[in-house]
Amino acid sequence: MAQRSLTIRAELDQINRICQAVESSAVEAGLDERAAYAFQLAVCEACENIVVHGYSDRARGQIQVDISVRPGELRVELRDTAPAFNPARVEASPPSPSDDPPVGGLGLYILQKVVDEIRYDRRQGENRLVLTKRKSEAAD
Amino acid sequence: MDIKVTEHKRVMVVEVHGRIDSSTAAEFDQAVMDLIEQGKKNLVLDLSDVEFLSSAGLRTMVSGRKAVQPSGAIKLAGPSQRVKDTLEIAGLDVLFESYADRESAVGSY
Repeated sequence: MAQRSLTIRAELDQINRICQAVESSAVEAGLDERAAYAFQLAVCEACENIVVHGYSDRARGQIQVDISVRPGELRVELRDTAPAFNPARVEASPPSPSDDPPVGGLGLYILQKVVDEIRYDRRQGENRLVLTKRKSEAAD
Repeated sequence: MDIKVTEHKRVMVVEVHGRIDSSTAAEFDQAVMDLIEQGKKNLVLDLSDVEFLSSAGLRTMVSGRKAVQPSGAIKLAGPSQRVKDTLEIAGLDVLFESYADRESAVGSY
């Protein structure tokens, strides 16, 4: 199992570093290009949520990232010290395309739709979010 | 991200290159909303060279669509596979008419 870790300042212009690491790890895990992109997008949305809504106006913290690559599976663990927030427990409704879709909550909807498994816990003042994406059988 | 705005037969074409993510979306938003404030309501977004589109960019597209209706529209020219994937994942692909290239998108107005 290959692992890589990085720590970023919780700033919007730093999130791309995580996206790039996720994308290259997704290739190593054997995800196809579209699954790799979708997972990169979901991780990006989770990070944006931490920066914009988690740390908000408070003193900026950090996001620590651990990426684990197994054959056919990619796992990304995000840790931050923003106030407790479990994105898996938010009911993110699909946008209604027929009339005037709300623009809020899109990021969480994308996160929940793309990721195969979301685990969250809070330990010693730290949010720990583990996102897992598996290679689909159809991709073999 | 680079943005280029051109006018073709009274249709404004917004050509975007690179990533539309949370750190660049404000610039994309400003480009689109500036046109709408100037009364330009027939827009084409050429997203053929966009390698990443997050919900931050989708918010501009959805808000812009609402702002130009009912007299105008936002149509897509040759969206990249990744743009199509983001729209499809978010369930918003049905909101935007999509054309193979810029000429056909402009010609549809």
